[in-house]
Amino acid sequence: MSDPATDPSDTDEQVLVFPEGIPGFPDARRWVLNDLVDDGAFQLLQSLDDPDLAMVVGVPWLFFPDYAPELPEPERRELGIERVEDAVVFCSVSIPEGGGTPTMNLLGPFIVNRHTRVGRQVVLESSTDAVRAPLPLGA
Amino acid sequence: MLVLTRRPGESIVIGHDIRVTVLEVRGDQIRVGIDAPRAVKVHREEVYREIKQTNTEAVASAARASEFLRRGGPPRPPRQTP
Repeated sequence: MSDPATDPSDTDEQVLVFPEGIPGFPDARRWVLNDLVDDGAFQLLQSLDDPDLAMVVGVPWLFFPDYAPELPEPERRELGIERVEDAVVFCSVSIPEGGGTPTMNLLGPFIVNRHTRVGRQVVLESSTDAVRAPLPLGA
Repeated sequence: MLVLTRRPGESIVIGHDIRVTVLEVRGDQIRVGIDAPRAVKVHREEVYREIKQTNTEAVASAARASEFLRRGGPPRPPRQTP
């Protein structure tokens, strides 16, 4: 299997690997990100192991500019993330069943090493980051 | 569920690599210490449960959320050029 970091023609370069799956879906290890909107603010995180398994994810800083997730040291080492630029970070978006304000999970960001494409959903030890942070919809 | 009774200072070993020690009992709170390999993640149960629940909600509302975004979605700040 070619190295995705050096062979851009390999379609597998788009596959993200979460070795432990994600909480609630431990067997879902292979994922891709599909664009949803032109400005890249939101994407669809789609499981390759289960076609029915997908969720909208977004860039947290566009809506929460002060968001400062602290990646615990063991996770940082496991993912091989040494600098901020090594990491791709995105958070899931949910809309409650009856409609209502969409929320973003800031307590459990997805963190991916941009070079190896290996990642995981990290549960932060924060007491201030909400698991359902309402997306600011005002002008 | 396996139920054991421990006194402060006593421990429980799980598998070969995980040890849970009762450190201190203060009122209705129990201080617990955990020794585990780095690869094993330890969380407060209610936090982990909330993350799981939110993942399930995100999956359940994926179609709804995609539609919301296609209709414009939330206002965003102007895109910064890198």
